[in-house]
Amino acid sequence: MEHVDHILIVDDDREIRELVGNYLKKNGLRTTVVADGRQMRSFLEANTVDLIVLDIMMPGDDGLQLCRELRLGKHKATPVLMLTARNDETDRIIGLEMGADDYLTKPFAARELLARINAVLRRTRMLPPNLVVTESGRLLAFGRWQLDTSARHLLDQDGTLVALSGAEYRLLRVFLDHPQRVLSRDQLLNLTQGREADLFDRSIDLLVSRLRQRLLDDAREPAYIKTVRSEGYVFSLPVEILGASA
Amino acid sequence: MSLKLQWPRTLASRLSLIFLVGLILAQALSFGAQYYERFQSARSTMLGNMRSDVSTSIAILDRLPMQERPAWLSRLARTNYDYLLSDGESGAPLDADADEVPVAVTSITAAIGGAHPLKFTRFAGEKKHFQAHVRLSDGSPVTLDVRPAMPPLSPWLPGVLLGQLALLIACTWLAVRIAIRPLARLANAVETLDPNAHPVMLDEQGPTEVAHAARAFNAMQARIAAYLKERMQLLAAISHDLQTPITRMKLRAEFMDDSVEKDKLCNDLGEMEHLVREGVAYARSIHGSTEESRRTDLDSFLDSLVFDYQDMGKDVQLQGKSAAVIDTRPQALRRVLVNLTDNALKFSGAAQLQVDTGAGLTIKVMDRGPGIAEDQLQKVLEPFYRVENSRNRSTGGTGLGLAIAQQLAMALGGSLTLSNREGGGLCAELKLPRSWPPREIT
Repeated sequence: MEHVDHILIVDDDREIRELVGNYLKKNGLRTTVVADGRQMRSFLEANTVDLIVLDIMMPGDDGLQLCRELRLGKHKATPVLMLTARNDETDRIIGLEMGADDYLTKPFAARELLARINAVLRRTRMLPPNLVVTESGRLLAFGRWQLDTSARHLLDQDGTLVALSGAEYRLLRVFLDHPQRVLSRDQLLNLTQGREADLFDRSIDLLVSRLRQRLLDDAREPAYIKTVRSEGYVFSLPVEILGASA
Repeated sequence: MSLKLQWPRTLASRLSLIFLVGLILAQALSFGAQYYERFQSARSTMLGNMRSDVSTSIAILDRLPMQERPAWLSRLARTNYDYLLSDGESGAPLDADADEVPVAVTSITAAIGGAHPLKFTRFAGEKKHFQAHVRLSDGSPVTLDVRPAMPPLSPWLPGVLLGQLALLIACTWLAVRIAIRPLARLANAVETLDPNAHPVMLDEQGPTEVAHAARAFNAMQARIAAYLKERMQLLAAISHDLQTPITRMKLRAEFMDDSVEKDKLCNDLGEMEHLVREGVAYARSIHGSTEESRRTDLDSFLDSLVFDYQDMGKDVQLQGKSAAVIDTRPQALRRVLVNLTDNALKFSGAAQLQVDTGAGLTIKVMDRGPGIAEDQLQKVLEPFYRVENSRNRSTGGTGLGLAIAQQLAMALGGSLTLSNREGGGLCAELKLPRSWPPREIT
């Protein structure tokens, strides 16, 4: 029998969690809905799920707290997708720092949520990252650079912020999650397509060259991202997780 | 041409004028009164002296033998008058009715009394003087030549007067300055009053009236800030609480069968959602961000923004390089530029960003859309304002995008100005400080 992904939805609004649950069910997923942290804990005592959709704003234990708790317990490998009511960058950043894999702002469309769920599942399954970024280690260091995985920008040696476009960040993140491992263009394309169709018409090659420019990497003699002929690309430097001090 | 006296425009010059004119007049009056008094008493003394002196002198001359008289003349001579043993010069007789009679005439008349025949002649001209012609008992003539003159003024008096004038001017200047300075400070404070920023409290020290005004101003400032905050909290609360029902509606709509109605409903919900998001964003932009200032590489910042648009298939181009590293709040700056770019895309389908480091750091977001009428360029920066003809509801704006951009630009220590481009289209120019103070007062 084919595996059916089991999604746990935690939201204090009855209508929203049931609507979401029904929609996901209709689209071939197995769903369980719970109203708060207490119910979530008791359900996870006896069950395992493939992904948890977690609302941030809840009475009692809020989503951020629950997420942190999940990351410390036996479900630390279960991907978490946060729902935030506030369209605010700080919420997103905190959510990602607490170990969420992705986030979605309310109001959202159900098919958007479905797409995100599938993207997160694909990402975490296809190539499990060699490194797990956690709350206490959200800075990835490589060469002369550091990548802030919550604010999604690079920091140079002086601590100057160097911004990345969404696609650049995702590509770099894929490389950093799988350092010193050859990745094919197909794999890269799949792993970087987190969102909608951002990668509209842009080949991986172009994105790699943009990223090299951003890293001040010489394209003829690249130090970071090397081209492996007829196979793909490899991130050639070791990556290290640093403590959360920016 | 009639010369009209202009009332000076500034309060300082008006006050100075009033003080100065008033004080100088008062000073002149008291000086005049004193001078007059002194003159009067000096004259009466002088005339009294003159009367006894003349009567004595005439008596002496009358008694002296004819040949001894010339020897005495020099002794009898005084500063203002002397004696001649002749008929004197002939001149116009002094007409008591027509001419201004010198006071000395009365003294002389009184001094001679009826003892000797007496007549006066006067001489006009450069040295105005008169003569009294007396006949002594033996019939010989004696002429009294009188040259009226004021007792001389002390040479230091003009100096003292000038000193007084200088003192007056200095005091006036000081008084006006003291009176005006708090007013100028208040005006300055009102001018720079920005209820969104941290309030700048006026010093509540000083004279009672000034302290009172300062307290009133500070209280007003606090009230305005409280109203604004309340308004924003209301907006934020409404927007926020709308998010849950909108989420439910959106989810429900997706269970509907595909139809025109469903599409329309989804569109409406999309608009509501947008409005709610912008409402929250606007409320936040007013509240001031809690975001920290970071050293940011501007070129990569703009690059990443433009690439994000290009990756979504939007026609957004970047011109120029700044090679600048600035201290700024990256998320706020991004929001400003995103709002401006979205606006440009909405009205012309394309946006061009241009970074310039010439006179200061400026980022322009330009389009070739319909532009905005000159008289509305400022108004579109107000929340919920929409230009009537071209930028109305049907184009799907909330009327908040530019207001948010404007608020955040100010929060970044910069400014946002809109202008119409030559050849059509709109140019939004964001001026940024080279270095935004990284330390925030909280």
